Amino acid sequence: MNKKIIRNERTGEHYTHIKHSSGLDIYIWRMEDYSTTHALFGAKYGSINTTFKTKDDSDFITVPNGIAHFLEHKLFENEDCDVFSLFAKTGASPNAYTSFDRTCYLFNCTDNVPESLEILLGFVQSPYFTDESVQKEQGIIGQEIKMYEDNAQWRVFFNMLGGVYHNHPVKIDLAGTVETIAEIDADLLYKCYKTFYNLNNMALSIAGNVDEESVIAVCDKILKPGESIELESAFPDEPLTVAQSEATQKLEIAVPIFNIGFKAQPQSGISAIRAEIETNFALSLISDESSDFYKTLYDEGLINSSFSSEVFWGDGYFCSIFGGESRNPKLVSDRIKEEIERSKKDGLDKERFEAIKKSYYGSLIRDLNDAEAIATLMINTGLDGLNAFDIIETVAAVTLEDVMKRLETQFDINNVTISIIEPIGKRED
Amino acid sequence: MAVKYGREKIGEGIHYTTLINKRQKTNTMFIHLITPLSQDSVSGNAVIPYVLSNSSSSYTTVTALSRRLALLYGSVIKGSVAKIGDSQVMSLVSGCINDRYAFDREPITSELTEILTNCFISPYVENNEFYKKDFDLKKQELSDDIEAEINEKRSYSFKRAGLVIYEGEPCAIPVKGDLEAVAKITARSAYEQYKELLKTAQIEAYFVGGAECPQSKEVLTAALTGLERDYAGDNISEKSPAKQELRRVVEQHEVSQSKMLLGFKTDFSDSITLRLMNAVFGGTPFSKLFLNVRERLSLCYYCSSGLNDKKGVVYVDSGVDFQNAAKAEEEILNQLSAVQSGNFTTEELENARLSVINTWRGVSDGARSLADWYFQRNYSGGNESPEECIEMLRLVTKEDVVEAAKSLKLDTAYLLTGKENT
Repeated sequence: MNKKIIRNERTGEHYTHIKHSSGLDIYIWRMEDYSTTHALFGAKYGSINTTFKTKDDSDFITVPNGIAHFLEHKLFENEDCDVFSLFAKTGASPNAYTSFDRTCYLFNCTDNVPESLEILLGFVQSPYFTDESVQKEQGIIGQEIKMYEDNAQWRVFFNMLGGVYHNHPVKIDLAGTVETIAEIDADLLYKCYKTFYNLNNMALSIAGNVDEESVIAVCDKILKPGESIELESAFPDEPLTVAQSEATQKLEIAVPIFNIGFKAQPQSGISAIRAEIETNFALSLISDESSDFYKTLYDEGLINSSFSSEVFWGDGYFCSIFGGESRNPKLVSDRIKEEIERSKKDGLDKERFEAIKKSYYGSLIRDLNDAEAIATLMINTGLDGLNAFDIIETVAAVTLEDVMKRLETQFDINNVTISIIEPIGKRED
Repeated sequence: MAVKYGREKIGEGIHYTTLINKRQKTNTMFIHLITPLSQDSVSGNAVIPYVLSNSSSSYTTVTALSRRLALLYGSVIKGSVAKIGDSQVMSLVSGCINDRYAFDREPITSELTEILTNCFISPYVENNEFYKKDFDLKKQELSDDIEAEINEKRSYSFKRAGLVIYEGEPCAIPVKGDLEAVAKITARSAYEQYKELLKTAQIEAYFVGGAECPQSKEVLTAALTGLERDYAGDNISEKSPAKQELRRVVEQHEVSQSKMLLGFKTDFSDSITLRLMNAVFGGTPFSKLFLNVRERLSLCYYCSSGLNDKKGVVYVDSGVDFQNAAKAEEEILNQLSAVQSGNFTTEELENARLSVINTWRGVSDGARSLADWYFQRNYSGGNESPEECIEMLRLVTKEDVVEAAKSLKLDTAYLLTGKENT
């Protein structure tokens, strides 16, 4: 076991990183005087990891879409009981989520941390799948997929990704489709479980009212050491250009909603963090509430306060997204492109850059109030081999020149997809 | 105790409450204007917090205000409108990081309080009305918001069911009103309503932070005590009476999954016991509803219960396939009968109790949850801390829970379903 304290001078904060003998990375951030503890046990495994190989496989294999999410649902069921009922005894509130590149199991509680941790580590390490229980879950997840079919925000986002990406699995709904989940069986689940739920591919992150010694004691007792299996994920070749520049759908909504995605070169590790932060600065400078551009569009009634922007990236994908409601989404898109070209030519405002830096830094400090935000930060950075303070330090070090360069590289106005959800029209009664 | 609670009456119907918790790295301030829900004033009131948080006499555009706030380390001022019981609450909330985290230790908190106060008592006014151009955009946004409620079917079904559950009561009025009411408001009429609220509404200000901030308190209380008042009296909410007969409503929309909402009425007065009963019945992922309706019978994608204690209403909220709706309803009622006849184990009861304790213990870790906790209690004339409520919760017996469950009477069954399902 190898223990390291990670300190940050700027905030006066610190946390502990332990490389456990089982192969697991453990991150512990003690928050004095807090009542709550938030713990996350997660794997670097999400909906995009559908093609992979280990040292035991002769070649890459491809599994059905939606399997990571399916596996998450199934792990919540032990051989002899429901996981919720185990946590019920400690008062902890458990949950789990699957994203594009993470699967995390979590609980928060105000008491009985070691007992809850024992349950968390225990059930994630005890897979139990039968064809019968898989069948039942196909029904439940089918309902979940249906629910999202009605969700306009969800659809507008995935329709946009479907336009931006030709082949990358990020374009597929996290839960898969009713057809792909029908192909899942117990053997496939075991195969994916053994591949991705290896402790060398996982991390444990705990923030809040937590005692380091007791965490290590539980880990020593429960963790089953895993040998490295030399896991590799593969992604299909993805052209740099978007697959289609427009995607529209009709749903029962009031005002049209849109997502506009600018496709850019994918990055990884610390360079992805820098790209994300600098692109976020560019997005704020161009179009946040304090920009002239926002005010102009707002005053013209082209956008409302739902207008926002974000950076979306991961293994093999990177794009910048503008989204909101508008009665004329295509005009909004044209105006954004014009504003980007104007900014590339005229430069960005130095004074606003400084204000945005303070604002960005302030939001990161605010997150340090919250055990959940801290635990999530540690596991996300940890699984990418980064330090939790890398983000705050990168923000503090960004220069306007960095942001200008990023504007050139991340925003190609000829490589854009606009996704629009239009209202179905008045119902005929 | 970790949180220091202080409450002062600083004017007729005006209170200033501080919640000091040294672990907080941020300072958060809330100003609530509370007034009875009424069809005539609801939309005019609803637009006010959005106008106030957009600009002020010192920062006349949203751009100027946002730029100033960005320099204060991304401080925010947000407007919102909410419902509590039969009252409408117009709120401004502002938050910033503690001064000690500023690059040069600038006095962020007191500067932010001045801006917040300026927004609250000194909006940007021209010709004795809210600045018309900005006002019209906010008004448009309010009607867009109301129209967009249909986009999110789960919350939409809550709103639609509420119209039936609370029929004839102020609580039935949608918190932003309706399109017709919004169309009638003008920059002048809303400004008149705003001035009226400053005079007559109950005003509650909260400061949640790591330490007291005397400058901030001075600025805000000076502004509030300087208001010309003609106080209309404290807000009260009546328990919602049970209908003579169960009301069934079915609405059809373009959806693939149906939403079912059941509303139960109760005149049970002890809200702590009701909270525990709700946790046993459907408030947790190991409750009767979750384990039986969702897990055992797979009738719903989600199925949980909640409580509006100000109105004495317990509701069950579920997402179902249309062909399963009747079966799901039957099973929900079976589970309620189980709780009513004491058909739950000591373990189920203790697990439910532990879950509520866990939630209440965590309240003091967040500024919003802490301010909301005390606001909910101050509204009903109380000020119990989470710790005090936990002590009371520990005393609730199985018999009490059964009594509480027995008081529930099914009042409304609302179903939102696909067009092809009739």
